[in-house]
Amino acid sequence: MSETGSKAIVTVPAVAVIDEVRDEIEDVKTFYFSFEDPAVGASFRVRSGQFIMCTVFGAGEFAVSLPFSPESDRPHLSVRQVGKVTRALHDLRPGDKIGVRGPFGNGFPFEEIKGKNVIYVAGGIGLIPLRSSIVHVLQHRKDFGRILLIYGSKTAKELMYRYMIDEWKKTEGFETYFTIDNPEPGWDDRVGFVHTLIAPASVPVKDTVAFVCGPPLMFNAVIGELGKAGLKDEAIVSTLERHMKCGIGKCQHCAIGRTLVCTDGPVYTYRQIKTLGEQI
Amino acid sequence: MHILPKADLRRLTGALAERYALYGPVCHEVSGEVIFDLVDDPSRIDLDIPIPYNPPKGVVFPQAERIMSFSYDRASKAAAIEPEALAAPKALVGLRSCDLNGLLCLDRFMLGQEYVDEVFLEHRKKMFIVSNTCVHPFPQCFCVCTDSGPAAVEGFDLDLTDIGGEYLVLTGSAKGEELVRGLGLAAAPAAKAALRAKAVEASVALFDAQAKDNKAWISRAVNRLTTGFIPHEVWEYIGDQCFECGACAFVCPSCSCFNIEDAAEGEGRSCRTRAWDSCSFEGYARMAGDHNPRKAVEDRRNKRFFCKLSFSQSRKYLRPGCVGCGRCVRVCPGDIGLPNVVTAIRRESTKQVPHE
Amino acid sequence: MIYKTGICNFCGTGCGHLMKVGDGAVKGVFASPDHPVGAGRLCVRGWHIHELLTTSERITRARVRKDGALRDVPLDEALALAADRLAAFPPEAVAFRASPRASNEDNYLLGKLARAVFGTNNIDLASDAGQGHTVGVLLESGGLPAALASVADLREAGFILALGIDITRQNPILGSELHKAARRGARLVTLSGRRTQIAKLSGTHLQNRPGSMRIVLAAMAKVLLEEGLVDRASTGERTVGFDGFARALDGLDMGRVAGLTGLDLEAVRETARALAGSEAAVAVFASGISGLDRETIAMAHNLFLLAGKAGRKGSGLLAATGICNIAGSWDMGATPRFLPGYVKAGDAAAADRFGKLWSARLNGKPGRTVEELLTSSPPTLKALLVAEHDEGLVRHPEALAALDLVVYVGAYDNPFARFAHIVLPAATYAEADGTYTNTERRIQLNRKKVEPGPDILPAWRIWTALAAKRGVIWPYKTSSDVMKEIAAAVPAYSAVTYEELEKGFGLQWPCDERRPKGCPHPGELPGRLSFAAVPDRFTAPAPTGDHPFLLTAGTDNTFWHTNVIMKKTHIPRREYNALLLLYPQGLVEISAEDAARIGARDKRPVRVVSASGSMRVAAKVSTDVRPGTAYVPYFIGDMITGFLDAHGSLLEGGEESVVPVRIEKV
Ligand SMILES: Cc1cc2nc3c(=O)[nH]c(=O)nc-3n(C[C@H](O)[C@H](O)[C@H](O)COP(=O)(O)OP(=O)(O)OC[C@H]3O[C@@H](n4cnc5c(N)ncnc54)[C@H](O)[C@@H]3O)c2cc1C
Ligand code: SF4
Ligand code: SF4
Ligand code: SF4
Repeated sequence: MSETGSKAIVTVPAVAVIDEVRDEIEDVKTFYFSFEDPAVGASFRVRSGQFIMCTVFGAGEFAVSLPFSPESDRPHLSVRQVGKVTRALHDLRPGDKIGVRGPFGNGFPFEEIKGKNVIYVAGGIGLIPLRSSIVHVLQHRKDFGRILLIYGSKTAKELMYRYMIDEWKKTEGFETYFTIDNPEPGWDDRVGFVHTLIAPASVPVKDTVAFVCGPPLMFNAVIGELGKAGLKDEAIVSTLERHMKCGIGKCQHCAIGRTLVCTDGPVYTYRQIKTLGEQI
Repeated sequence: MHILPKADLRRLTGALAERYALYGPVCHEVSGEVIFDLVDDPSRIDLDIPIPYNPPKGVVFPQAERIMSFSYDRASKAAAIEPEALAAPKALVGLRSCDLNGLLCLDRFMLGQEYVDEVFLEHRKKMFIVSNTCVHPFPQCFCVCTDSGPAAVEGFDLDLTDIGGEYLVLTGSAKGEELVRGLGLAAAPAAKAALRAKAVEASVALFDAQAKDNKAWISRAVNRLTTGFIPHEVWEYIGDQCFECGACAFVCPSCSCFNIEDAAEGEGRSCRTRAWDSCSFEGYARMAGDHNPRKAVEDRRNKRFFCKLSFSQSRKYLRPGCVGCGRCVRVCPGDIGLPNVVTAIRRESTKQVPHE
Repeated sequence: MIYKTGICNFCGTGCGHLMKVGDGAVKGVFASPDHPVGAGRLCVRGWHIHELLTTSERITRARVRKDGALRDVPLDEALALAADRLAAFPPEAVAFRASPRASNEDNYLLGKLARAVFGTNNIDLASDAGQGHTVGVLLESGGLPAALASVADLREAGFILALGIDITRQNPILGSELHKAARRGARLVTLSGRRTQIAKLSGTHLQNRPGSMRIVLAAMAKVLLEEGLVDRASTGERTVGFDGFARALDGLDMGRVAGLTGLDLEAVRETARALAGSEAAVAVFASGISGLDRETIAMAHNLFLLAGKAGRKGSGLLAATGICNIAGSWDMGATPRFLPGYVKAGDAAAADRFGKLWSARLNGKPGRTVEELLTSSPPTLKALLVAEHDEGLVRHPEALAALDLVVYVGAYDNPFARFAHIVLPAATYAEADGTYTNTERRIQLNRKKVEPGPDILPAWRIWTALAAKRGVIWPYKTSSDVMKEIAAAVPAYSAVTYEELEKGFGLQWPCDERRPKGCPHPGELPGRLSFAAVPDRFTAPAPTGDHPFLLTAGTDNTFWHTNVIMKKTHIPRREYNALLLLYPQGLVEISAEDAARIGARDKRPVRVVSASGSMRVAAKVSTDVRPGTAYVPYFIGDMITGFLDAHGSLLEGGEESVVPVRIEKV
């Protein structure tokens, strides 16, 4: 049982207020929220890499990562509108209310990786779930070796959190590598798929952990490159997304082979992913 | 053990009906079909009729169930969330061993993992269970091959075994004992009490005639599945025949996949319903952006049969999820059903390993 | 008890179910184990009918358009207004559209309302073309205008021929019977241009070129003649028209069959021999939107007659009805051509008989279909009443908008309702007693399970109320009373009563004095059958240099009747949406070979160009169509519908219609 699991809001959502809405990239907005009942807020403790189930009244509930750092950030969600519920969420304004259950899932390793080099590789909105870990690690800069962010998307305007990345860059020794798929006016950084940056970044291998998140094609290409560079499967960590309905290991929508993403995951090492026995 | 004359079954069910909503096997009032249903008249419950077509799981895990109400007034921003108050305590009478085992599978899964499913727990917690030993198997049965019958071992409050003219009554809980006392049932003399084991033995012997072949192969299939030695062609063969109706999951006493949907009800009110689902559906695992990890129908089929023969149940509890009730055979438009899957596995595997 | 017996209301298979009812609401559904058709099975639709029945997208109040918007009014006011306004137009300018999901009682009375109260024969049924062709051929041949084989016959048949139909999706439980027959050793042959699931499950799949099915069937008939495999009785005393048919077949040059159909002639010969050699044989095809054209059905009928597989127990054609009560609606005369019981509208004696029964003077002029009326120029239609309609008519938005009056009577909110001036709420089938006639002529009683809302009436009561507003008082107190009148009007239903229906799982008509328990095997009925007239020219659509693909349209895996009602469910909607999510812009299915040749890739756009139009859709590269053919499901997106509308006449023939096209990478 995970330490936070037992304190999670399991069945009946708690009401939360949207304090602020921020437009990120096209179709993606960030929603800052706080709990209506401050007592709930006080006991709502998360681990980076966990997720919640978010209810939009009248529309439904969906799984969403918690991109904020467990320590100092304001609670928020970054959501892309893809369907019924996420569209309804995008219609909400500051002051509107939502329901929140969770936090659920195992979360990213933190204590376990202290002292290591950390590589973050993200594609598109794959940066959302990695954000909490990035912020957390940067907050504890001195506990880690090299910290790299390798990030790409189809076009420049699909790069998430650029204003924040600019902030993060102020942390000493935070290395960033950016790319977009095709050349664009006004873009003077690299062009090409994300995995092509692994070699140029001359990523560390020894005492290193890599966090990878993005669409399946990108994921597979990146894993290939990291492997070539010499990273072991167990040093590569990812967070999986699945169709998910309950978040507590009952509805079985998120089953992959022997594992349930909601309770066993969403964070897995690549070594674990390989033994799931199904396509990911 | 105690004795309940058959004619007195009515006293037992009557006593339960006073305290519980009473469910049991009945012949349908119009069509005569054998189903497991809520009864108003306790004498309708018939313990001699075959195993009901629908699994009793519907009582604790309804096909569609409203679990929560919401109201949200966008103008005033007032939000309220109310879990549905749940129903009266229930008595399930005449559960056959496979179905009781199915219920126990659900218990382990819904209550015994990291989180407790609170909705299921509400249904389950105030429940009285009377099981019924199968003194002879029905044609579709193979519980002996899945270690789930023909007699109940645990999980009942009372257990009845027909020894001709009377039932042997085994108590399994304090609630059960209290009821036996209340009814003033006579204790069974040792000679009679021994008849339960005899009846079970005789019943098991009858299985030999009908459950040879594919069914006896189940434990080996479980092995093969767990060690991952199933050729892809087996799943393809099964997938080609699947009509994607979901029935095998719906009728299975141990299947518990569900879906959750919210629906608007007007004036800011909405409700959350959870309903039976099946991992054989294409939309089950479909995700945004055209990414469906389990698109091919054979991938999805294998999920369910994997699950029944190896995964969630057996991984933690060393027993297959299948309890041998045979229901998924009868409802399948594709003529699949678990025993046929086992046959297919056996055929392919013996082809591969001729000396097995 | 919370489980109540009932009938699935989706497709014409008519599976039995047990509906779970509690606290005055539908809670679920379970398969009925002993039902003679379903036998314990339901398909994905049937397993989720409670989701439709509990949708909040209901019409619950009567509405009348005032100042452009529909506003709630008291029911009685709306009824009076509807009746008065409908009566304000001459009979020729008024039309009625019945629903194939409505009960026999509903549709019998809607027909009576149209004919006896509003004096018009302009009444038709949504999606009627396919069934019309079947009925036409069978009536012409002297048999019953309905399936001659029963579902039970599929369990005995030694040979089953599936003609085109994607049966495991359209009528899944019928499809299950085909699959099970093959598993028990029957010979299952699918003749279809697409590799459907049933084709994959068939011992033989004759994957013909689209539009050539009729030629394949003719070739099989000719093989029977050439090889002396013709049933003696079928060419002699018991039949009429053999010589004519044989002469027509003279026009078929067997040497050209392979070229026309794309099939190996030997495979066709072998199939014909297997048909002739079987004890009992059944041919199954779709009857409904995507049914077959008249000529193909006529050829199938003739082939079976020639092989001695018509007019015999356990054999014959089984037209699978796509919607639960298409068959019954035809029996009830919800068509411009026939009064109840297939009595020709416009026939003087008939008009007289029904005039007496209905105490009215009937219009002698045969009616026209709603589609005909909406597309005729100059427009003659002024007022239209539509019952429980999905979406088909929405394709004529201008014509609808030009009408003086549109009355919509339905249970579910729906895109059609926005054209209405008056909306009347109707009960769902679970809120009223009624009978439904399935694909094998089985009349089944479905009892009311729950009470409708306060303003909601069963459709038959609405028709009765509209008649009353015109001063015509009908005496029915219950739908059982309506059935009594149906029994008097339709000889094949003459012994049908609710009491008898209640006793078992329905009655298969003809059900009359001589056969009070119905007739499962009408093939045994005495009487002579005729060969249907068929043309003696055998041509098939051929690709041209400019348009090298033969494009067909039809249903798809994830489609059922424009999906409008499926959209009100959860799980079927999710499943039926699969294709839409993958190909939101619509799709054209082509083979991998063709895709490679034109450089098209799956899910990438291509342009489909015919002689008269073009559309841009995504390519779906699959192994289910043969090279040189292309397939579009006709429900996805406006693009495809628009394109297909331009080829309306070509596509009227259903599954066998073909549009030659060119497909280009874009
Ligand atoms: C652990 C986890 C973390 C996630 N984190 C984020 C996040 O931080 N930001 C974000 O924008 N999204 C995130 N998602 C995805 C998000 O849950 C889905 O996009 C959302 O559920 C879609 O709901 P909808 O009602 O808007 O779409 P629907 O109308 O239900 O469906 C639209 C499409 O989305 C698919 N879909 C439905 N549910 C899911 C699901 N759970 N995951 C993926 N696809 C789904 C449907 O099959 C369909 O193809 C996360 C999912 C998981 C499981
Ligand atoms: S898998 Fe089939 S036989 Fe086994 S318990 Fe489930 S329904 Fe019964
Ligand atoms: S019952 Fe049969 S056809 Fe239906 S989903 Fe299960 S395996 Fe497939
Ligand atoms: S086959 Fe037709 S009648 Fe049977 S369950 Fe499916 S939709 Fe209903």
